[in-house]
Amino acid sequence: MNDRYISLAHGNGGRYMRELIESVFAKYFGENDLNVQVDAATIMPPEGELMVSTDGFIVKPLFFPGGDIGSLAVHGTTNDLAVSGAVPLYLTLCSFIEEGFEIAQLDKIVKSMAEAAANIGVKIVAGDTKVLPRGEGGGVYFATSGVGVKNPSLNIGLHQIQSGDKIIASGSFGDHGICVMLAREQFGLSGELFSDSASVTPLTSCAYLQPGLKFMRDPTRGGLVSVCHEMARATGLDIELSELDIPIKDEVGSVCEMLGYDPLYLACEGRVVAIVAADSADAFLQQWQALPDGSDASIIGEVREGDGAVSLRTELGGERFLEELEDDPLPRIC
Amino acid sequence: MGISAKQWLTLIHEMPISQPIKIMNVCGGHERSITMSGIRGALPKNIELIPGPGCPVCICPEEDIYQAIQLSLHEDIILVAYGDMLRVPVNVKKSEARTLEQAKAAGARIKPIASPMDVIQIAEQNPDDTVVFFAAGFETTTAPTAAMIAQGVPDNLKILLSGRLTWPAIHVLLSSDSPGFNALVAPGHVATIMGPQEWAFVVEDFNLPAAVAGFSPESLLAATYSVIRQFESGKPFLDNCYPEVVKPTGNVGAQKMLSEVMTVVDATWRGVGTIPKSGFALSEPYRYLDVNEHFPGYHDDARKRAGEMPPGCDCAKVVMGEIYPNECRLYGKACVPRHPIGPCMVSDEGACRIWWAHTKR
Repeated sequence: MNDRYISLAHGNGGRYMRELIESVFAKYFGENDLNVQVDAATIMPPEGELMVSTDGFIVKPLFFPGGDIGSLAVHGTTNDLAVSGAVPLYLTLCSFIEEGFEIAQLDKIVKSMAEAAANIGVKIVAGDTKVLPRGEGGGVYFATSGVGVKNPSLNIGLHQIQSGDKIIASGSFGDHGICVMLAREQFGLSGELFSDSASVTPLTSCAYLQPGLKFMRDPTRGGLVSVCHEMARATGLDIELSELDIPIKDEVGSVCEMLGYDPLYLACEGRVVAIVAADSADAFLQQWQALPDGSDASIIGEVREGDGAVSLRTELGGERFLEELEDDPLPRIC
Repeated sequence: MGISAKQWLTLIHEMPISQPIKIMNVCGGHERSITMSGIRGALPKNIELIPGPGCPVCICPEEDIYQAIQLSLHEDIILVAYGDMLRVPVNVKKSEARTLEQAKAAGARIKPIASPMDVIQIAEQNPDDTVVFFAAGFETTTAPTAAMIAQGVPDNLKILLSGRLTWPAIHVLLSSDSPGFNALVAPGHVATIMGPQEWAFVVEDFNLPAAVAGFSPESLLAATYSVIRQFESGKPFLDNCYPEVVKPTGNVGAQKMLSEVMTVVDATWRGVGTIPKSGFALSEPYRYLDVNEHFPGYHDDARKRAGEMPPGCDCAKVVMGEIYPNECRLYGKACVPRHPIGPCMVSDEGACRIWWAHTKR
């Protein structure tokens, strides 16, 4: 295929589309995993219960320090499976590409996607490609659906959360949100800031083996506070966070201060928040801190009797209520 | 290294405080920082922090917002306004557009902006349209507007000016029978432009402690410490607890632009009334930019409840520090950020919005 840019013909179901799929998608996903000649993939059902998750990916810019929309589309769905207690096995991929998009860019994105999938050990087994007329898309959008097999020894969920449980974060908050915003907007700020976009499977696989694990979530859109509200609403218990213990990188903190954002509401793409029984929390924390992605892990708060409120014990010893996110803090970032 | 917020807090707790002190702030940014860092709850019980007239959106005259809505609906113009002005309600019948947002939904061409530079861009991008900039704000936003005008604006740009000065509102409060506070934390951004001396009247005319503060908990607690010490010693003076940014003269260049482009006039504050010498108007050489010169007849002061806060809403009392936000009957019940009734629940600078977002309900 010699085309440099995507045209509407690449979505028409004919030769152009076949060539695009063969020369870009199949090239990276491998013939063994992705059979481009069938309408439906055959997979062997694994033993145990299956879990399914789906997610859409819109991000501007498509490439940002620490990641791109391709790796994000793999991590997003597999992370949802992993924090729910499943080992991700298979993914399907829908691509919505804008007419005029450079095929070299698409190639880079699909390559990054394939690398992310290989690192996790997940196979992309089916896909679809659509082309949107020029001006009707943001370059490229993806939707991925994932299937995983549930770890049979786990009994985690919102219903397990009790008063006294500790809240453990795997790393710092706000990195992805601020990084993407700085890459998109011309604030004249620059720094050594990278998105946290990553697979959380090393963290979750480690967590599955620890006693006292009750619940996990990856704080994406809406950030840490949205995860806390989800837990508070489901349990009727209070969530109290400790400002001093929440890891926030200095660069993120100062950009937030300058621009009026709150890192606790910003998206992460490679962090996990875990609820762990109080007597197991210290041991759990040590296990996470020993992992490369968990070196900044910290016990950031606890679950308390109450009426479903989320609050922050401030550095000064005061209390700040953390309201549920209402207005969008940023244009969409994931 | 300076003194940390925690250390200031310890110093305050160690100070003997002989009687309750009520300290007013005049800046939405101060109130937000106080509330978000939990300063109020961390201070000794006999120190009260009172949010005062520090939200430009809250005191923006109802008549001006009405005028902006009507202009956007009835004239072939593009209206440009700061984002948080779009949801402030005016007092009209339910069948009419109550906010700029509703006017926009009804087809008016309204563009929200974050900085005056966006205004020039919009005017240049739409050379065949008249663009009206609804320039509401305190000195901090009016000064950049003055600079923009002084540098020259596209021919198709007109101004609906609704700028206000902060200190006259404090002067009015202090001149009243019951000011409701006995020390002032003065706004750092305003002092950066106008100079700290603008606030000397608090000490000289009313013998009350005053300190200019920045927006970090450290600076706010330093100012709090300063005014308590002044109060206890009985020797008030104007302290500057934001010296790294606030210079003794202020920003002379910005002041020059302001006095070239604008004159100071008596002006109305929503729910408060007219405050002498508290507003900006375009000076004679720039009056040709005034939207009233081009589209007269939209400033209807004869309407029912024109200029007032909405019925049942206590925003006027909140703005003047007479009550705390949660003492309003509508707070958190009929009036929440999603359906604001009063202007203080709309803007991030408004005390009700800040309290609703960050304090226990």
